[in-house]
Amino acid sequence: MKEILIKSNIWVGALALAIALPIFVVGSAWLLPGTDLWSHFAQTLLPELVSSTLILLIGVGIGVSVLGTVLAYLVVMVDFPGRAWLEWALFLPFAIPAYVLAFVYLGVFDYSGYVQVWLREYLGIPGFDIRSGHWAIILTFVLVFYPYVYMMARASFKRQKIQMIEAGKMLGAKPLRVFWRISVPLARPAIAAGLLVTLMETLADFGVVSLFNYSTFTTAIYSAWGDFRSIEVAAQLASLLVVVSFFLIYFERKARGKAKYYSSDVSNIKAYYAKGLTGWLIFLFVFGVFMLSFAMPLLQILIWSVEVFTLEWSDRYFDYFASSGILTISATALIVVIATILALPSRRKSESKTLQLLIRFSTLGYALPGSVMAVGLLYGVQNISLISIYFAGSSINHILFGSVALLLFAYVSRFMAIAYNSTSASSEQIKPVYGQSAKLLGASRLRLIQKVYLPMMMPGILAGGLLVAVDVMKELPATYLLRPFGWDTLAIRVFELSSEGLYERAAIPALIMVVFGAIIMLIFNKLDSEKY
Amino acid sequence: MLSVSNLSISFDESQVLEGFNLSVESGDIFALLGDSGSGKSSALRFIAGLENAMNGSVVLDGADLSLNGVHSVKPELREIGMVFQDYALFPHMTVFQNISFGIDHLSKKSKTEKVASLLELISLKGIEKKYPHQLSGGEQQRVSLARALANSPKLLLLDEPFSSLDKSHRDELVKDVRSILKKQSVTSILVTHDEAEAKAFADKIGKIEKKQLFIN
Repeated sequence: MKEILIKSNIWVGALALAIALPIFVVGSAWLLPGTDLWSHFAQTLLPELVSSTLILLIGVGIGVSVLGTVLAYLVVMVDFPGRAWLEWALFLPFAIPAYVLAFVYLGVFDYSGYVQVWLREYLGIPGFDIRSGHWAIILTFVLVFYPYVYMMARASFKRQKIQMIEAGKMLGAKPLRVFWRISVPLARPAIAAGLLVTLMETLADFGVVSLFNYSTFTTAIYSAWGDFRSIEVAAQLASLLVVVSFFLIYFERKARGKAKYYSSDVSNIKAYYAKGLTGWLIFLFVFGVFMLSFAMPLLQILIWSVEVFTLEWSDRYFDYFASSGILTISATALIVVIATILALPSRRKSESKTLQLLIRFSTLGYALPGSVMAVGLLYGVQNISLISIYFAGSSINHILFGSVALLLFAYVSRFMAIAYNSTSASSEQIKPVYGQSAKLLGASRLRLIQKVYLPMMMPGILAGGLLVAVDVMKELPATYLLRPFGWDTLAIRVFELSSEGLYERAAIPALIMVVFGAIIMLIFNKLDSEKY
Repeated sequence: MLSVSNLSISFDESQVLEGFNLSVESGDIFALLGDSGSGKSSALRFIAGLENAMNGSVVLDGADLSLNGVHSVKPELREIGMVFQDYALFPHMTVFQNISFGIDHLSKKSKTEKVASLLELISLKGIEKKYPHQLSGGEQQRVSLARALANSPKLLLLDEPFSSLDKSHRDELVKDVRSILKKQSVTSILVTHDEAEAKAFADKIGKIEKKQLFIN
């Protein structure tokens, strides 16, 4: 038995290692001789980029933590008008790609957008550039990414025992004190986990920062690769991102620490009932967030789509749609299967530290900007090809470059973290005693996995799969660099049009994506509500 | 003195209490007996202001807390203490922080003194810095009692506080808690389904039968 376990661990370890490959390739860039370009970067751009990236991360971090936590607390703990439908509606912004929200807000608030036109014509306020400064971009990121914190904090608040809050009340604590001293500290690990995902997404973003002309660390990586054609410097800069992510993950793990906070009994009693004016004020606040982050942007792209439909729509859209669909479905299936293999409870039991570390590595790709992932893969392929020329006398470049397989590899590496976190969370809840009793009843390893582990992990597997599907559909930079000829996706069409300022026309592909994303989120939400 | 009058509670259309009346003299310990689902915990939670009812009024030391099923005073302002079945100690706070939660407005010095004297009262000196998960079930329940007594409530409600303890510890704790409450002369109501426990703990016992309260 032990031998089988070790053998399978070797396979799993190899699998995790393969997924982590782009990270190692990127890291190996440090082994190459330094170039003048690096010192050029370090002296000119880097200090400013580091500070603007930090400001962005701090602003977005505070914003999503506060907004996500407060919203989650309100919908879980307080009964107010409209609570039931707002609770799931707040998930919908997941369906809107960050760059879509960015171009909608730019289209509306830009110099030629109707808000500024109105301000100029009726109030005589001179035009201004909303791209300058930090506020507009921070706000955009907060509206796109708050659902990560909302989702995690909401699940945590739902698991909190109502007695905790009742005990607080009976000791004379007012609602704000209960929130601050009891509920938030208990939900801290969940809030930290949501925050971690947000920060990694912000670090890796390409679409929003380029639409806002905002320079971040990622911009420097693009510039090293795009402007200076230095794959080494791009990779060296990117490896710093990996280090930052590693620290973020470490701190998040530490924050969880000895937290054994959860109880599984979920009660439907609301801690507070907000009646009258208070109730309606809370409704207005939550509804306002929903409007700003989902309903109004959706309405705007709907209006634009109708206005430019005849101009933009053509048969090519069936191709965009097919490319997006095929890539999303195949990547999601692949990622989910691998994540499940990595997260099976037997992995946890195995005491191999190396395996645990490899699995951790395999999820780090989430912090790599898609383009860096792509560059890392191309770089890797190039080296493999050199080896193949040396031994077999022919290059394999033509097989791998521009192949669907390479793009799928990039998706797997990039989005493994999302599926893995979700599946491993459900696997962690499987107590060892289930496996032990199944074995005592004579179940084989395969039967144990099939009949016991998989059914118990299914909610986590499905949830992870849905989130991955939305993310793959939205993915832009890696697709842009690695897509096979003729495989333009909806995301690429949105970006091509919006980067030229053709916001109205970009609305059509964006609308299709948002509608599909929203459908996926509704299914996700249905699954989620069945869990409780 | 506490008086509850005309309390009517129903769960999912089936009525469990109808015209329930109860009065407890100041300093008395009252035990409310009943089978599971009899509505005894709901009655207690209505007195605390945590649960709603179709009808019922609560008067404590002359103040109207609830009138005809409507709570006029919020739970946090009732000056009622509560000890929960599973203790409900805050897991992220130390024993000191737990006990002093309700008296946070006091100065650091008076808080320290108060917590020390409460810990002495429950015979658990020197555990201020421990976390709840480092304590045994019985110890957690004592701490939870100390926490509820810290801000000198006018009434203490105990919702099956001994039911998750094993028999040998339970008998001892029942005796100890009774003597502590008597020493402090706190008006208290215990909810339990265990008749022996009720007899050992309370001055007076009432049993819920056929939606009403019968005093033994």
